[in-house]
Amino acid sequence: MNEKILQVKDLHLHFKTYSGMVQALRGVSFDVYKGETLAIVGESGSGKSVTTKAITRLLTQNAMILRGSIAYKGNDLLKLSESEMCHIRGNEISLIFQDPLSALDPVMKIGRQITEALRVKKQMSRSEAKAKAIELMHSVGIPDPVIRYNEYPFQFSGGMRQRIVIAIDLACEPELLICDEPTTALDVTIQSQILELIKDMQRKRNLSVIFITHDLGVVVNIADRVCVMYAGKIIEVGTVNDIFYSPQHPYTWSLLSSMPSLQSSAKDKLMVIPGTPPNMLHPPKGDAFAARNRYAMTIDFEREPPLFRISDTHYAATWLLHPDAPAMTWEDAKHARGIKGGTQA
Amino acid sequence: MSENNQIVLEVKHLCKYFHGRKGMTTKAVDDVSFYIKKGETFGLVGESGCGKTTTGRTIIRLYKPTGGEVWFNAERIDGPLNREKTKRVTSKMQMIFQDPVASLNPRMTVEEIICEGAKINKLFTNSADLRKQMEHMLDLVGLTKEHATRYPHEFSGGQRQRIAIARALLTNPELIIADEPISSLDVSIQAQVLNLLNELRHELGLTILFVAHNLSVVKYFSERIGVMNKGRIVEMADSEKLYENPVHPYTKSLLSAIPIPDPIIEKNRERIKYDIGMHGYNASCMPAMHEVEPGHFVLLSQPELERVKRGEAL
Amino acid sequence: MSKKSRERVLKQAQASFHYETPNPESVLKEKLPKKQFKMNQMDAYLYDKIFETEPIGFFRDAWLRFRANRASLIALIIISLVVVLAIIGPMIRPYTFRTQHTEFGVLPPRIQGLEKLGICDGTLVYNLQKSELEDYGDSVVKILDEYIWVYRGREIEMVTVKINMYIRRGAQDHYFWFGTDNIGRDMFVRVWRGARISLLIGLVSVIINCFIGVVYGSISGYYGGKVDMIMQRITDTLGAIPFLVISILFIMVLGAGIQSFILVLILVNWIPMSRMIRAQFYRYKDYEYVMASRIMGAKDRKLIFRHILPNAIGPIITQATLAIPGAIFAESFLSYLGLGIQAPEPSIGVLLAEGQKVLTSSPHLTLFPAMIVSILMLAFNIFGNGLRDAFDPRLRGTEQ
Repeated sequence: MNEKILQVKDLHLHFKTYSGMVQALRGVSFDVYKGETLAIVGESGSGKSVTTKAITRLLTQNAMILRGSIAYKGNDLLKLSESEMCHIRGNEISLIFQDPLSALDPVMKIGRQITEALRVKKQMSRSEAKAKAIELMHSVGIPDPVIRYNEYPFQFSGGMRQRIVIAIDLACEPELLICDEPTTALDVTIQSQILELIKDMQRKRNLSVIFITHDLGVVVNIADRVCVMYAGKIIEVGTVNDIFYSPQHPYTWSLLSSMPSLQSSAKDKLMVIPGTPPNMLHPPKGDAFAARNRYAMTIDFEREPPLFRISDTHYAATWLLHPDAPAMTWEDAKHARGIKGGTQA
Repeated sequence: MSENNQIVLEVKHLCKYFHGRKGMTTKAVDDVSFYIKKGETFGLVGESGCGKTTTGRTIIRLYKPTGGEVWFNAERIDGPLNREKTKRVTSKMQMIFQDPVASLNPRMTVEEIICEGAKINKLFTNSADLRKQMEHMLDLVGLTKEHATRYPHEFSGGQRQRIAIARALLTNPELIIADEPISSLDVSIQAQVLNLLNELRHELGLTILFVAHNLSVVKYFSERIGVMNKGRIVEMADSEKLYENPVHPYTKSLLSAIPIPDPIIEKNRERIKYDIGMHGYNASCMPAMHEVEPGHFVLLSQPELERVKRGEAL
Repeated sequence: MSKKSRERVLKQAQASFHYETPNPESVLKEKLPKKQFKMNQMDAYLYDKIFETEPIGFFRDAWLRFRANRASLIALIIISLVVVLAIIGPMIRPYTFRTQHTEFGVLPPRIQGLEKLGICDGTLVYNLQKSELEDYGDSVVKILDEYIWVYRGREIEMVTVKINMYIRRGAQDHYFWFGTDNIGRDMFVRVWRGARISLLIGLVSVIINCFIGVVYGSISGYYGGKVDMIMQRITDTLGAIPFLVISILFIMVLGAGIQSFILVLILVNWIPMSRMIRAQFYRYKDYEYVMASRIMGAKDRKLIFRHILPNAIGPIITQATLAIPGAIFAESFLSYLGLGIQAPEPSIGVLLAEGQKVLTSSPHLTLFPAMIVSILMLAFNIFGNGLRDAFDPRLRGTEQ
């Protein structure tokens, strides 16, 4: 169980645009262990979607990987040729996108979309593939699979379509499933069904899952470990208990207390993050979060903090963990929420 | 937060049906009734397709209701209105929309956008006064008067939504209908705008109808909540009561589906499934709103009501 | 970028990438000054950044985008050049479009500067009998080839010669830049005058079509329902009548001439514009900012003119621009068929018709009008496409 299936090391990815080089990833490192679910949390622009595209090598032409490696079962995916990568996609690593409507071909029957991968990659015959597809549809919870095999995507609801996408993804039995905000566009009851389905599939097939989301409740529901990303870097990583009960980075504090949960009372004040994410064309010097950080120190504007070790499982990149920094914990921050100032920008 | 218990908005048995092809009728809003007191925030929550947005738009007269009544400040406002009544409605009832990009005319400057309501309703005789009020609005939402000459495309989503809020507030409205004001925004920006709305409603004593699909946000923001499903309100109560003691099975299923960011609690929760067929409603057994405890209304049929009275869970 | 150049850029970027990942162990060993660890932002009120740049309105925004598109800019320059020449072209020559020099009929083009290079030097290549050569005397510039042609059993000596037509006809002192037609009219003047007429007809008809189309489409699109249905059935019926049939009928009844021509062109050509406007109205009338204004009490007229139309201006201008070459071509086509402008007034189509009769012997009569109309149409199309990209509302106001 402690075997690592994916190791991303020091990934630096820049995009060449008309305005200059956008530094999308600035040194991203994380590991995914076999059979676990790793959640990656961050706002838009933090680099979480780019990371998944980098792993599956589905980047645009102007993407430049300047440094780093992505080791899948020991092999650096960045060094593989396109045809080798084609073999990896689907067979080993699969990807679920946010919008189920655009993930399915609207003019192809869904049965054929599921068997397409089977026939191409596993060289199954048509009848074998169809039988497998129907079995898959059944296991993802699509009712009347034999009838619905011949239907088109528009005849399904959003949640059903996402199930079809999951069926397609699992057809060739991959070992790593990457989910890029698969439930953001779905209603909350459907979301909980899809999350149950993913957890179920994971248990049955011993999948490893990378789950991208911005919803912390979803993270708690589905993840074992969490990476928090901001401005192209991982600023905190730990188990779900580490992150939710003893977060160390001020950004994580803000994330946890900026949106109300069912448990918040109306009297709780929200710890709002002022300002907007930084411009990745010219990332700021030092800690990228400093400008929006109420607890920023002088050094935050000068030097980037390293990833300090808190425990075997818990790391955070904040100068607050330096022995010389003033003592500041999440409890202190929560108490201080009543302080005026810095609410919005 | 209520002053004098004055009811600002009352909706009685509101219906809005859309007639499609082949005689198919979509009952987007089907017999919805609620009221909002002055200074109160009422949340209308439900999943996509439940009819909450249509309800908001019918109240503000973008759609003509198929049936029912809408009362604003004790005046009936559905149906055709004369000039003065129209002016009262258009200046005293405002709306904030979901999409910050589409809610601002890209060819108008911020100043023109915010002042439009006042100009149409001729609320200010002196243009200097109007300009001062506009600058005051910008300040309230956290922008500066330098922003007034700019065009919407130069702003981010959160800023645009703030401009929309300033526009809604300029005419000093008595009711604001906020239709999913934060759903299209980035998560960290959602918190900013939500916080702003919260501060403003406390500072200015606003009366708000808050329509959204995120029950956590609605619960945080509203004093009372109505849960909608398939065009009907299935349960209506104070926010805390709704969370502590949900009666209708749909409400329970909705609450159980919302993930809570607390590992110990979340890992031990059970999801409750809901199936609309479980009620067994038919022509002879139609549900109606019943008050199961003071201020707490639930859509129940007669047999279901009996079971609730006996203390059984539905 | 090609694959090789991409790889090259990548290697370059990798080589020049100097980034040191901060290392926690080494950082902890460092002695960092204590004052670096003071929090100094706790009570700061973080305002929105003041914009440093000027406010950019709609047209300026579009112009900036347009300017960046090289092809469209060049097209615009070309169109301007053609328009300028159409205005001043006929004026800079000593002849009018109707001045005839019958003795100078069908002369090839002769341009002062280029004749030294051998093109446009007023010469034509003929195959003549060697015996006839003396007739031509001075005008023989060069003998290109001598050969024997067998005709009815007789051998005839033939020569291929380059004849300077100007000398032959006695027009040595004259320079006709585009040559002359069969009754000696200066083609340069005629072509540019024809271009002027064609552009005028095109422009006027498009502007009128625009106007009719916008009004019709706005009403149809904004009100929808029954009004829309009736109005659309009318356009469907009108649009189904073949353009050629209608134009022939009209010209037969009203006679040819610029006015009747414009009338023909506006008969049914407003329909595409009205359809486009109607589509724009359908698209925009449910936008939230229109709803917001309606909530605030704005009347229909205000919504149409202040909110929806200004946002549809981009596509209107684009469609109008792209309709101009169509109108010019329609005019050329009808004139070519003989339904055109009355002689001696030229238009591109008239010139093409005249030139077509003598295409093989005097290609220059067709070449210049054809070139002008082709350049115009191509330039307008590229310009129109550039406009569409510049105005495209999808690009405007999107997040980076």
